[in-house]
This record gives sequence, C-alpha cells and structure tokens, in this order.
Amino acid sequence: MSVAESLLQTVAGLFPGTSKVAEDSIAEIEDEIDSRLHRIPTHLNAYGYDAFGFNPDAARRALVITALLYRYWFRVETHGIDRLPQGRMLLIANHAGQIAIDAGMIGTAMVLEAEPPRIIRGMGEYWLPTVPWLNIAMVRTGSVVGTRKNCVDLLETDECVIAFPEGVRGMNKLIWERYQLQEFGYGFMRLALETHSPIVPIAVVGSEEQAPAIANLRGLGRLLGMPAFPVTLTWPWLGPLGLIPLPVKYHIHFGEPIRFEGNPNDEDEVIAEKVEQVKERIAVMLADGLAARRSLFW
Amino acid sequence: MARGSIDAPGRRATRGPAARDATAVDSSAGSLRAGARPGEKILITGIAGGQGQLIARRLARTYVLTGVDRSPWEDHPPEISVHVLDLRKRKMEDIFRTERPDAVVHHALIRHFRVEPRVRHEVNVLGTKLLLEYCVAHGVKRVVVLSSSYVYGALPDNPYYVDEEYPLNVSRTYPEIRDLAEVDTLCSTFLWRHPEIATTILRPVSILGPHVSSSMAQYLRTRFVPTIMGFDPMMQFIHEEDVAEAVAVALQSGTHGIFNVVGPGAVPLSVAIEQTGGTAVPIPEPVARLVFGQLFNLGFYHVPPGAFDFVKYPCTLDGRRFRTATGFAPQHSLEDTFASVRR
Repeated sequence: MSVAESLLQTVAGLFPGTSKVAEDSIAEIEDEIDSRLHRIPTHLNAYGYDAFGFNPDAARRALVITALLYRYWFRVETHGIDRLPQGRMLLIANHAGQIAIDAGMIGTAMVLEAEPPRIIRGMGEYWLPTVPWLNIAMVRTGSVVGTRKNCVDLLETDECVIAFPEGVRGMNKLIWERYQLQEFGYGFMRLALETHSPIVPIAVVGSEEQAPAIANLRGLGRLLGMPAFPVTLTWPWLGPLGLIPLPVKYHIHFGEPIRFEGNPNDEDEVIAEKVEQVKERIAVMLADGLAARRSLFW
Repeated sequence: MARGSIDAPGRRATRGPAARDATAVDSSAGSLRAGARPGEKILITGIAGGQGQLIARRLARTYVLTGVDRSPWEDHPPEISVHVLDLRKRKMEDIFRTERPDAVVHHALIRHFRVEPRVRHEVNVLGTKLLLEYCVAHGVKRVVVLSSSYVYGALPDNPYYVDEEYPLNVSRTYPEIRDLAEVDTLCSTFLWRHPEIATTILRPVSILGPHVSSSMAQYLRTRFVPTIMGFDPMMQFIHEEDVAEAVAVALQSGTHGIFNVVGPGAVPLSVAIEQTGGTAVPIPEPVARLVFGQLFNLGFYHVPPGAFDFVKYPCTLDGRRFRTATGFAPQHSLEDTFASVRR
C-alpha cells in the first residue's frame, strides 16, 4: 500500500462511507499516472533508470500524492498547455508560497495533461544531495543538483528543465508583495542560448496566496541554517499543521514558447534585456490570470 | 559536440571515419595523430596484474610486447618478454636502451592500501616521473597512461557527467589517494611539455571483471555490502575487457589528450549490489565512520573512510570525447559486466 493510500484511508476512516470512494479514486489516479508515464519520451536503461537517476516507479509513488493535491486540494486548471513545444524546453515560472508546491503542481500538470507527458527536471540547491533520503527522492523523481553542466546535458538530451529565476527571493515574498515579480537571475537565459532551447513562460495564479507570510525572520533562519524563516497566519503558531497550505485554486497559464538567439557569453546588459522580455511576458500573463479569476478559492 | 547523447545505451554516437573528422580540435580536447602501426614495440608497465595481463593479451595480437612488473607473471605467453623490476630501479632505463619501445602503456600504479602510504606514494609518483623521463630520453613516440575516474572525487555538487576539464578534487575529501591525482597531473603536464610525443591519459570508470581486483570490484564481491544509510548514488561500471580494448583503440587511433572512458551506462549503487548477488547493509554514516575508521586504523580493513564518499555521492563521467574521437563503444552490456563478478 502506498503512503498516499494509507494517508487517504486514515482520513476517509474519519468519515464513514467515504472509504470506498477514496479507494476507487486512488486506483483510478494510479492507472492514469501509469499509462501516462509509459509515454514519456525519456530514455531508460535496462534497469529502469535514465542517465540522471530518474526512475518511473519512484516517480509514480510521488505523483499519486501530488495528483491528489492537484485534483482535490488545489483543483488545478491549466490554460494553454497545448502550446508546449516538442523536445527540449526550459520552463520559466513565478515562484511563491513558502514551500515549492508550485513546482510540484507544474510537474503534475506536465505528466497528467501535456502531450506527450513530460517529466520536469528541477535544478536542486547544492545542499540537497547531502541530506539522507531526500537526495534519493530528488534524483529518482527527475531532479538534479543545479549545476550548469547538468542543465546543459539535460537540455541536450531533449529534456524539459524547469527554473524559477526569482529563486528564494520569490519563494519567501510577503503577502502584500504577491504577484510582484522579484529580480530575475540571468543564468537560465545563458543556458537557453547555449543549448538553443525554447523558453516557455509560465504564470502560476493561486500559489502566491497559499501561505500568506507576514514576516520573514532572516536572522532566525540563518541561525537554523535555513535560507529564510517565514511567519504566516498559521506557521509557526500551529506547529507542523501550520505548514498545510490554504486550499486556494491554482491556475497554471502556459505562454507561447519564446525562442532567443545570441551569444550565451554576452555581457550582462545584453542578457538582461532578453531576461526582461521573459519577465514582462510572465507579468502580463499574471495580470491577465488575476483579472480572469473569479475568486481565491474556486 | 555530440548532441542528445550522454551515455544512454542505444544512443551511441556514430562510429567510423565520419565521427573522426569531427575532432579537429586542440590537443587538450583530445586530438588524433598517426596511430600505432602493427608490429610496433610496446612496453607495458604493471603487466602481471589482472588488468595488465588483459591489456597484454589484447595488444599481443597486433604489436611486439615487453612488460615490467614488481611481481612475476608465471605463465606469460612466450612471445612477450617480462622483466620483474621496480620502476624506481636504475635497471629500468636499461630496458629502454635494449628494448627500444615505440610506445609505453603505463599501468603500474598501486591502487590498494595494503602497503605503507609512503611506499605507495613513491612507487606511483616517483615511478611515473622516472618513466616519463625515460620516454623522452629514448625517443618513445606514444604514451598511454591508465589513470582513473576517482581523481575527480565524489562530491555532493558533482554534475552527472563530469568532463575532462573538471578539476581533480579527490584530495579534498579522500587524501589517501591524492597520489593518483598527482600522477594524473604529472602526466597532463608531460602532455603539454612534450607535444612531440602522443600522450593519452585514460580515466576509466569503476572496472569490474573476473580478473581485476579493483577496490570497487572487491567491495561489490562481499556477501553483505555496507552502504551509507539514506544514500544511493548513480554509478558507472566498465568491463575489464573493454578497458583493454580502450587502450588498444587509443594506440591505434593515435590519440593525444585526456579522455574519460565510460562503460554502458549508470545505475544506482543498490542495483549494482543486487545485480552482483550481494545484500546491501545500510549503516548510519556516523556509525560507519567510527567502526570502519577504527578498523582501518588498526589495520583490519584496507579501505580508508574517505572512500565512503564514493558510495554517497556520484562520480559519473561524460564519455563523449573518447567516443567521438575514436568511435570507441563498450562491447559488454551492464548485464554482462555485473554477471562477470556475480558471486
């Protein structure tokens, strides 16, 4: 029995009569994920691993959990996912919400709704490989340490890499800064130019309200060895329960792919101009998405 | 640069002359010169070990061989002359005088810890230095050195597919084998200082096979294989015969430069242990360091604790340069390679 199943059954057990329904819907989701994972264009060796340690069996276990969140907690709607190019691409999105649920939801959308289904390849922080078990989970589900070489190699094997150029600056913004894009890093643009990869701008609407932060105690975070220490309406007041995000409705907007040409080693000014175009595109998509949304929760 | 292929089996770069033309690059990136002609005289150092014998048998098909080793090779083929000799001895130069080799394959490196660290360091570093000097003094035309992937070190922020430009970081976390990095550096300096000699440094990944006794082969051959709890890095392996083949390919193609040599692909450590018939025994890292560290200090265990990083973090290599330059492709699949050491 998977973690998701036991978790859901425990919850369902609290409400008699719902247990059967929960079991059915999990079986359904598992079948769906299975059939879609069979169609990913990632090359696996005889033992079921790709060249970067990705393994569909491990990914399936993680996807059952994220798919349940996707369907029933955040009720994600995608817009324009049919615009995705084939082959290599670099997904660039806004980043928010204190914990990287936005990445999980985009990743789930790419498996459940993209044609063909794709595995997103995340660029992990440098300390992640030193954490027991977490390092295995990260690699088996398709992510790698975010070195330049890893990113180039993934794109050159026609994989789909995701990057959040706002980084932690975006992740830990406060509630009154929501949907205000923070400064973008330039690295992604150089990599796109070097590997001739199209950039797909993505605007995630919903994530920026999932855990409204009212303060970020950076000093305390530094003491605890964390990049930030956000204070939200529920965290740290409610303990671990305070980590549960609000059931906001997610809208993920996929923009037209943008192709850039140029010298990847140009000076910052030249690269910055191209980065600004991507940032503006996402800002417009965010504004449109916010205007079209009926409410925070449905 | 070959696109869309790293080391995934089934996506190999094209072989043959077409691939060869694409490598008109500077020597650091690996270039080609005139290859060794059949009948050339080749001196192999470290000929009596498992891998040395395999290289000798492979090269004996095409070339005239002489070998040196600190230990004798009892039943060596009669057409190969074998000298029992330490590289550091004066008599080594006499062999260059009398045998007049056209090429040298350097494989005489101590890779285990059963000798004193001082001896190991001296044999490896001083031995290599003297050997290279003899090569210059006696008009050797080509040199192939068998270094190893371990010189890059296993670090948490290693990319998958480390290329030949990557720094040799092993001494940061595993100082006991820094002599191997020194040998490698000594040879790369030689490569630059003596452009008249076609020098090739091969850095193969972990070698497995019935005849070699590499640390990795010994580690995987135990019934219960200790691993570090919560870590399961991707690893690459190559069959011993493919390593011998890589040496032959390097000689024949006239390579000049540094080349990673990779096998048929990568799998997690846990899969390698399972496929070679062992059982992984995950041990929490602090316990492993304490227990194995003490055993090593007392002389009961021959692998220093620095080696743990190689079963925690990846040290996987990008093999495109060698493949593109020479068309080399391993003949043994991962299944074959594991089967060759299955208990």
